[in-house]
Amino acid sequence: MDRNQLAKWFRQPSKMANKYSLHAIYFCTGCGIIEIPPVITARWDAERFGVIPVATPRQANLFLITGYVSVKTLKAIVRTYEQMYEPKYTVGFGSCPVNGGMYWDSYHTIKHLDKYIPIDGWIAGCMPRPEAIFIAVTHLWTLIDKGMANGYEKYRKHYRSYRRNQEMALGKLDWPPLYQIAGSSQEPDHG
Amino acid sequence: MDKPLKQELESIFKDIQVTEHGHARLTIVAGPPQVLTVLGFLKDKGFDHLALLSAVDRIENQEFELVYVLTSYLQDPRAGAVKGEMVLIVKTAIPRDNPLFNTATGVFPNVEPYEREIHELFGIHFENHPRLTPLFLEREYSIPPFRKDFDTRRYVEDVFDAIPFVGDEDQ
Repeated sequence: MDRNQLAKWFRQPSKMANKYSLHAIYFCTGCGIIEIPPVITARWDAERFGVIPVATPRQANLFLITGYVSVKTLKAIVRTYEQMYEPKYTVGFGSCPVNGGMYWDSYHTIKHLDKYIPIDGWIAGCMPRPEAIFIAVTHLWTLIDKGMANGYEKYRKHYRSYRRNQEMALGKLDWPPLYQIAGSSQEPDHG
Repeated sequence: MDKPLKQELESIFKDIQVTEHGHARLTIVAGPPQVLTVLGFLKDKGFDHLALLSAVDRIENQEFELVYVLTSYLQDPRAGAVKGEMVLIVKTAIPRDNPLFNTATGVFPNVEPYEREIHELFGIHFENHPRLTPLFLEREYSIPPFRKDFDTRRYVEDVFDAIPFVGDEDQ
């Protein structure tokens, strides 16, 4: 451990613990997931950076959106994101979640993912190299340090807009809202 | 096999065009009424596997082209041929303003999901299909999205680009 960081550890132990143990949800959205097996296994070994894949969103706090997002996948992404506990960080991986990439005029691909869930960082490229994931992780550390990786707070704050955008893309959602929306009769889901 | 497949097909079926490409590929263009008969005949000949059913929107001719790709798993349809080497492409054209065709599930049962897909993406209706229900798409489209006159750019502008970004101003 870096001695220079001792002061930070004493000041904000929970933040430092979060920062150095990112549990990534292993969720295969598109072609980018092919980069994840070499990243988490012996070749590049993401555990050096404290990143480890977990099985369910209820154990995860890092969400890698790997590749293009279709309308059908968006539904699963939103449900997965809402199941993760806070603080949670999302990283859009590859050029497709940024603006659709090569599917920019496709009839069924979501163009800007940050209209539906908050994204803390983007990794550009098609495909990004595994090294780019580590650059993103170290960059995410900096953002967490500075309190700028606050997508989950933004989601709570602007939940009405996010929910409206999700309903515009997906039609009527068949699950209750995560947070109470003012003026809405639907109760939030505490399950 | 006594005669090559090309001569045999041409002697049995009228109004059929058979083109050879190399030694292991045949393109058979048949009229809509006799396609299912041709497919049944080829199945009896040993082409027991329908690898693919696809559709092409020939908007300049105002017709849809259905493409059946047949290969062989179990038998060797030609003497001296490697099993599975021979690929047959059976094509037919149906009018674009009345996209209606008979299902091939009676001949090849595995054509069912392909016909559902084409029904959804091209809007071609297959009569007597056991379940012509939606397969992939989540949204409603005014024109089936794989047709050439479906303007994807305009659709994206109308649907996805119309959704606003979430910013500080709408709080």
